[in-house]
Order: sequence, then C-alpha cells, then structure tokens
Amino acid sequence: MMEMAGLTLHGLATVTSHRLRSRGALLHSCRATGILQSSLRPFAGFSPCQANPLCSATGLQAAGRSHRPCRLEQATRCQVQVRAASGNGASSHDSGHYDYDLFTIGAGSGGVRASRFAASNYGAKVAICELPFARVSSDKLGGAGGTCVLRGCVPKKLMVIGGEFSDSFRDSMGFGWETLGNGQLPQVAWERFMEKKNKELERLNGVYMKLLDGAGVEYFEGRGKIIDAHTLEVDGKRFTAKNILIAVGARAWRLPIEGTELTMTSDEILDLEKLPRKLAIIGSGYIALEFASIYNNYGSDVHVFFRQELPLRGFDEECRQFMNDQYALRGLNLHPTHSPTKVAKGEDGKLTLWTKDRSGKETVTEGIDHVLMATGRKPNTRNLGLEDAGVDIEESSGAIKVDEYSRTNVPSIWAIGDVTDRIALTPVALMEGMAFAKNAFGGESGAKPDYENVASAVFSSPPLASVGLTEEGALAEYGNIDVFTSSFRPMKATIGGGEGKAFMKLIVASDSDKVIGVHMIGPDCAEIMQGMAVAVKMGVTKQQLDTVVGIHPSSAEEFVTMRSPARQLREKPEPQKTEKEPELAAVPPKPY
Amino acid sequence: MAKGHDYDFDLVTLGAGSGGTRASRFSAQKYGAKVACVELPFGFISSDQVGGAGGTCVIRGCVPKKLLVYGSAFAEEFSDAGGFGWKASKPDFDWTHLMSKKTKEIERLNGVYNKLLANAGVELIEGRGSLRDAHTVEVALSSGGIRTLTADKILLAIGGKPVKAPIEGSEHAITSDEVLALPDLPTPRRIVAVGAGYIAIEFASMFNGFGVDMHLMYRKDLPLAGFDGECRQRVAENLQQRGLHLYPKTSPTKIVKQSNGSFSVTYKGDTGESTLDDVGLVVFGTGRSPNTKDIGLEAAGVRTEKDGTIIVDEYSKTSAANIYALGDVTNRLNLTPVAIMEGMAFAATAFGGVPTKPIHERVASAVFTQPPMATVGLSEEAAVETLSGDLDIYTSSFRPMKNTVSGRAEKTFMKIIVQADTDEVVGVHMVGPDTPEIMQGVGIAVKCRATKAQFDSTVGIHPTAAEEIVTMRSKTRRVQGKAKTEPDTNESRSYQQ
Repeated sequence: MMEMAGLTLHGLATVTSHRLRSRGALLHSCRATGILQSSLRPFAGFSPCQANPLCSATGLQAAGRSHRPCRLEQATRCQVQVRAASGNGASSHDSGHYDYDLFTIGAGSGGVRASRFAASNYGAKVAICELPFARVSSDKLGGAGGTCVLRGCVPKKLMVIGGEFSDSFRDSMGFGWETLGNGQLPQVAWERFMEKKNKELERLNGVYMKLLDGAGVEYFEGRGKIIDAHTLEVDGKRFTAKNILIAVGARAWRLPIEGTELTMTSDEILDLEKLPRKLAIIGSGYIALEFASIYNNYGSDVHVFFRQELPLRGFDEECRQFMNDQYALRGLNLHPTHSPTKVAKGEDGKLTLWTKDRSGKETVTEGIDHVLMATGRKPNTRNLGLEDAGVDIEESSGAIKVDEYSRTNVPSIWAIGDVTDRIALTPVALMEGMAFAKNAFGGESGAKPDYENVASAVFSSPPLASVGLTEEGALAEYGNIDVFTSSFRPMKATIGGGEGKAFMKLIVASDSDKVIGVHMIGPDCAEIMQGMAVAVKMGVTKQQLDTVVGIHPSSAEEFVTMRSPARQLREKPEPQKTEKEPELAAVPPKPY
Repeated sequence: MAKGHDYDFDLVTLGAGSGGTRASRFSAQKYGAKVACVELPFGFISSDQVGGAGGTCVIRGCVPKKLLVYGSAFAEEFSDAGGFGWKASKPDFDWTHLMSKKTKEIERLNGVYNKLLANAGVELIEGRGSLRDAHTVEVALSSGGIRTLTADKILLAIGGKPVKAPIEGSEHAITSDEVLALPDLPTPRRIVAVGAGYIAIEFASMFNGFGVDMHLMYRKDLPLAGFDGECRQRVAENLQQRGLHLYPKTSPTKIVKQSNGSFSVTYKGDTGESTLDDVGLVVFGTGRSPNTKDIGLEAAGVRTEKDGTIIVDEYSKTSAANIYALGDVTNRLNLTPVAIMEGMAFAATAFGGVPTKPIHERVASAVFTQPPMATVGLSEEAAVETLSGDLDIYTSSFRPMKNTVSGRAEKTFMKIIVQADTDEVVGVHMVGPDTPEIMQGVGIAVKCRATKAQFDSTVGIHPTAAEEIVTMRSKTRRVQGKAKTEPDTNESRSYQQ
C-alpha cells in the first residue's frame, strides 16, 4: 500500500503543493475520508492506467482519447477529496440507515459522470448498475459507456473518419498522387475495419469500468428496478439508497409499419458484417443523414426517404437547403415527402420498400440489403418500476419529468440524460450529471445545467455545426436581426477538385449587436464551432468579432471577416440603415 | 473628405500585396478617394523587377505553401487509411503535376487581385515605384518609360523578401520563393533546411510528406523560437517521430557543390564540425528583410531602422506626415491578416475621418507543420515574464480519436494559461490535427478576454478534439508571474466595451 502511495505521491507533490504542505498531511487526509484505497487502486502495478489511459477528470474524454497523464488526474481527484472531507462535505454525507448515498441506474455518459463526481469529488458512497455489455442494446443488454461509447457518438465517428478516406483518395489525385494508377481508388476490407472498431469499443467499455472503480463506485451488473423512493433491486438483489439517479438513456424506435421487424436501427447499422450494396434509410434527422453519408462514402447505393421537404428538421432553414444540395451533389438519393408503408423480404434475401408521397403516389424500391429506421428514439422507461415509486413520466414520449435540477416529483429520485428527453447529447448529460452531483452532494443547491447556447454537430458529409438560434428562431425571439452569410469553395478543393462548397452564417441581434446564432457547413466545422461556442456563450458582439484578426489561410477566418450583412430583417420596417462602420474598433478621436 | 487639389491622386500605394490592396480598395471604394497602386510585373520568384498583385501571401507565401501542405498531408492519409481497413499503400507522387496545378491556381488568384483593384476603381500601374519627394512617386513602367505621379498621401506596402545566412556557398541554396516554384523534387532526395522559424519548419514538414529525406539545422535547442516552450518540444517530437532529422544547436558553415551536382553541407554543432553529403537541395529559412532599398525613402523624409524597417506610429504613419507604411515592411507582426487590419485602419484614419489603430495584441496564428500548431495570446514563458501574480497552467495531451484506430502514435497537446486573480485566459496553445481551424473561435474568446469560468460553462461538441478546450477542469501547475506590476491594459479594455 505504502509503495503504491509513494508512486502516486510523486505526481501529487508537484500538483498539490500549493494546497497541501506535506505528504503526511495528504496521506492523513486521504485516510480520513477512507478513500485512499479506492482512489489509488488504478495504480496497482500501474497497468490499468497505462494500458487504458483514460483515467481523467473528464469522462468525456473517454470517448476516443487516451494516454492521459494519469498520475496527475489521480492526484487531482485525491486533492479534491481532501478538500471535501476537510471542508463542507458534511451536508449530505449522512447515509443514515441506507446502503448508499447514491445508487445510479445506467452507466452511460451521464450516469458515470454523476456517480464519479458524487464519489470522488464529494465523498459520497455510490453504487451503479448496468446491463451486460453488448454492441446491440435490448432490455437485457447494455454495457458501461452507454449509447455514446458503444452505439452512438464514438463508433459513428470512427466510421465517419473511415469513410472520409474515400474523399482523401479522390482529392489526392488532383494533388498529383497516383492512387492505384489508372484512376482506381482503394477498396476497404470491411471486416477488418469492423474488427478494429469493435476492439476499440471493448477497450473503451473497460476504461469506463475502470473509471468507476478508480472513483470508488461499486459496480453491479444487472437490470435495475425501482421498488420505492429509497429502494431498488438489481436482478433480485435489494439495495437502499438515500438518492436514486435514473440515467437509463433511450433506445432507437421503429415505425410500426408492415414488415418493420425486417428493418434495423442505428444499433445494428453500426455493426454490419458486410458492406451493403444498397441501403434504404427512413428518416432525415442527424442520425439518418450521418449513416447515409457514411455508407455513401463507402460506396453503397444509399436512398433516404423522409416526410419533410428538406432533411434535418429543426436546423436553420437555409442550412437545410444547403445541406440538401450538398448531399445530392455527393450522390445521395434523397426522396423527400415520402413515407414508408411496407417492407418485405424476397426469396433472394433482398428487401423491398414501399413508400408513398403526399399525393398518394407509391414508389417501390427493390434489391435493398438493409432498411434503416432512423425514426426517433424513446426513453427506456418501461419496466423500471417508475409506477411503483410514483415517478411521473410524460405520457406521449415516456420521458421522465424533472425540474431544472434534474429532480423528479419524488424528491429522492433524480433523472438525467436521454431518459429525460431535454437535449439528448452526451456533453449535456455530462453537464446534467455534474450539476446533479454538485447539487445533491456538493452543498451547491443552486447548481443546475444551463441549456443556453449548446453547440452541436451533424457528422454527415459535409458536416454541419451550429450554436445558438436558427434564423427562424432568432427572428421570432428578437424581431430585429442582421444575417451575415458566406459560401465559398474550400481552398483544398481548388486543386483537389471536389465540387462541394462551405457555408457560414452569423445571426446578430441588431438591437444589442450580440451574436445569437452561428452555423457552418463544410470541412472541420465541428472543430471550428467549439471556439465559436465559447465566444457566443460569453455574449460576443458582432463589433467584437470584427476586431479579431483571422488565422490565414483557414476556413474559420471567414467568421471574423464577414463585413456586410446578407439581409437585415426588421420587425417593423424602418428607414434602411446605412452600412455599419467603422469596421475596426474605432479609437475615439483624441480630445484635443 | 479633404482632397489634395494639386495632386494627381489622393493616394498612391506602392505594393499590391494583401495590405496594399486592402488599403487601396477601402480608400477608393468606401471613402471615395482617387487611388493608384503601383506593383511590379507578375512572377513567382520575387526580385527588384518581379512581384505581382497578391504579393507574398498569394504568390510566394501562405497560399502556395498551404496548397503544398495539403498535397503533402495525403501521405499521412494513406498510411492512416490502412489502419481503417483500406487497402491503400502509399502511391507514387508526381510533383510536376502538383506544381502545374498550383501555378494555375496562383495565376488565377493574381487575376482576382487585379480585378479587385479595378472594380474598386483603383488604377493599377505596373512598374517599379520610388519616391522622389514626399508627394511624388516615380514609376519605371514595365512597358518602358517613366511615369510621375503626385499624391496627397502615399502608402508604402512593399513587403519583405527572404534573406540567406551569409555562409560560404550560400549561392547554392534557395529560399522560400524558389521552394514554392520548384520544378522538380531534387536528386538525391535529400534536403537540408536551415533555420527553425515557421517557414523552415513548414517546408521541412511538407517535403517529408513527399518522401524527401529531410534534415533540419537550427541554432536554438528547439525549433520555433518565440512560441510556447512546451509546444516547441511537442512539435520537435512530432517531426522526429515522422522521420525528420533534427540538428539543434547547429549552424551550417559551408555548402560545396560536387561534380555530380549534389551538395555537401558542412555544419558546426555541439560535437564539433561534420559534413553531410549527397544533399540534393539546401533551403534557407533564415529570415526576411524589408524591401526598402533604393526606393527614395531619404528623399521623402521617411525614417527606417538599421535593418531597413520603416518606422511608423500606432496609426501606421511614418516620419513624413503624409506617408504611411504597413505590412511586412514595418516588421510589426508579419502576418497577412494583420496587414489587412492595418490596411483597413489606415483607410479609416487617412480617408474615413476616424483615426483607427490596428490592435496587435492577442492575434491568433498557426504553423502549418504536420501536425500543425496554433496559438493565441501569451506563451507560458512570456506570461511568466510579463505578468505578475499566480498563473494557472492547464494542459492536456491525448490521442486523437482517429489515431486510436489508425495506430498513429501522435498525441494532440492543448494548453490554457490563466491569470489566477482575474480568471482571465491569457494564452491558448495547441499542437495537433485541425488546430489552426480550432483556434480561430478560441481566438475570438481570448481576444474578448474570456475567463476560464466562461470556457468551463461552454458545453462541448462531441466527439471533437476541440471539446477538450472546454473540459480542462484540473490545473496542471501554478507558476508565478515575474513582472512587478501588471502591464497597463486599460486602453484595450476600454475599446472592448
């Protein structure tokens, strides 16, 4: 034990010296909280951290990051615990007669983050339960890491990255690379790629287990069911807890049409044994278009059927139109205003899909390998015992009703993440989890998640990223807005030869000059948008944007060089404003 | 606006690069000035007789450089693709194909610049301009003859040019101008690059992608002097991992051309003098100097530094009251977007009636190595040197998601420097894929004096590399600023409001 502690302390000394005067003080404090053993466990022999180096204070990174400075993170965790133990941690640490301070159902992004924070930052006694690991989820199967890591963001992004190589091969020829000679492009060994992807998911699943272990959270494999406000059952075994956190997520939902059992959901499409030659996708949300793009990039013949005129409902209208055109340019077969009516399987094993447009005209699509239903997701609230405990759910969606602190109508039961159907994004679940832990165990009763200006991205080809309001939303909320747009051919395409264009849009509330919406379509937009989100979150004005110098040559510099509005929309018509000036921050003339 | 009644033009600009073009266009189009712009005839290798609208950035800088970097980066794609199951081995590469496409694209852009000026009503005069007095410019026309122009105001935007280190045999070496117009990759396929500023290091990285055996010699112990120390270390490691040969604390002393056409480079390092043979090409990235020779600055009363840099005040005005200078010739911050900012500020000051200063602080920039680096604000070293009080350093090093499957060992590095008492983010630095694109938005936040708390309150975009910048919760270390008092930042603060 001491040897292990010694190893750790080497890292601790540098980090925490400004808070902790001596190693003795640290060890003493760690012991006092009773966390020394658990928090140092990952260092036994160093192996877990070095092999699975995702020990980090931010579980988010688990999704595809590795080789972090483990010692440091570990040290930080210990340091925080010391603070909690010696400070104000008493408020909610009184377990009384309960087995645990917190029992979390569901070890996805939100559940893991909440549990780890409650345990490591605030010294709570925490247990978590999760279904056995599998890549395709069901009532009986899940796994630590949850949707994001096992059947969402991470495998999806790996497939996006894999598929985008086909663009690189094509572009490289424009730059003088003779890919395979005579204009042929490389082929993919799909099975090999799937194997590597699956290995990575298993690694990440293990990392999540270790994260929990490292934080001293007890892990139970099995299906959790709530019995009453303080009692739950995991595969028949009963536990009591002062607080229960429901973080069971959601699952893909299929339209109830004839033959729907022949279709698949996002779970399965992430795990195909063979590359499909022809793929039909129903729906046009971001999940539908991401998979459409992935398989299109891999050379499948992809058909997308959706009810709306344009894909990606809810996004900025101009962006939807732009995306629609870009998708078509890249060879996606889009079938707007088409609703599916029937799926059937032929003798050759191929599927046939019947769809109807608004006029009732029927289209029959034959020879399909797979039909993907990307028609929405439903909270996993069935058979969870919610009725017994008296937890209210939304009738229509099945989502658990919570207040702004993520508390249900039963005061000891909380819920976060997709099961609450607020904003179903991993980083939002993380934010909810951290706010919950602060609130329930950190003595910060005011801590609540902040849903304003949450940026997000659609990882289709091309990708789309945005933060803040759409033009339509901005107009409704602010009345007076200035819209700046720019559409350009990315520099790489001037030689690479791709026909695609990038699009950028800034929406400014003209009365306050605040930037209230930023949207971008094109290479790297998801990466570009993160910094824009910081700026929008801090309330940046257009005049401030204009004072920022660009990074040249980049795509992103366009955001700080958009000078003339494409349009100025006004609630009430007013005399046309003259062009805003000066464009640079004017230094007021000197007083003399 | 006051017009100079006795002059041919309100403004004559020497140099149609990024800064000169922007200043001329804005003065003409936005403020109604009568403007002429003088530029040398177009060509790829600059000289006293060759230049072209678009200037360094477009013809022999940022743009062709980035195009070659794009081309070179495919090498990385081919090797990463294998990890993702693609049956792709690194194919052959045809340099002449890329060069001819690059040439075409640059010629197109040169045309675009000519048109931009024409559309703004600026008269573009081709030839070499020099000052006869404070209001008179003499142009040796490339069509022959001399044209004399008088102007109320004159703007010098004539840029800089690469210089070679003065060593024996330096005439055998080439500079960035020639690199960007190289007719073919050298034989033998071995290049020595001298210097480790961003220019040398970008070229070294680029040639490495094209399969050249690359040797980089520089005086300091790490490349990229002036940038954040930890990032310099990362960049050096990345380059080494990609197979570049680094020669820190090394100065070449002699270049000898051998009978077979190859070169031998003699250099002095820690361990004494040695010679590297079979070098196909020697590239100097050893600095640039302002183009101020023989253009009549004395006659017009324009003062320069010893190295030829034109001395200007914060409104870009020279020692002659009606003569301004901007861009690389003033050697402030030699970046295209900075010259453009200076150009717009000049136009507002000289013709818009609004005295406007370009603000040179917290300018983000990027180094397009592979992987690239991007930065805004103070390096850790500069923060320690110029600030006082506690400084919190947040760092993160992680394997980008792509690398988990491709097998590439490189990690991305990110660093945030926070002034502890104000919680203000004073510097952000990154080394890794996409960092130049990531940094622009971060640069906005830093320019607007974002606090660390504001970074932390921003929700990440998942899964991206950039989300790391808003999820760095635990500081890596705390260091002390060494400055006695905080520098006065009131001025820039007030203009933010």
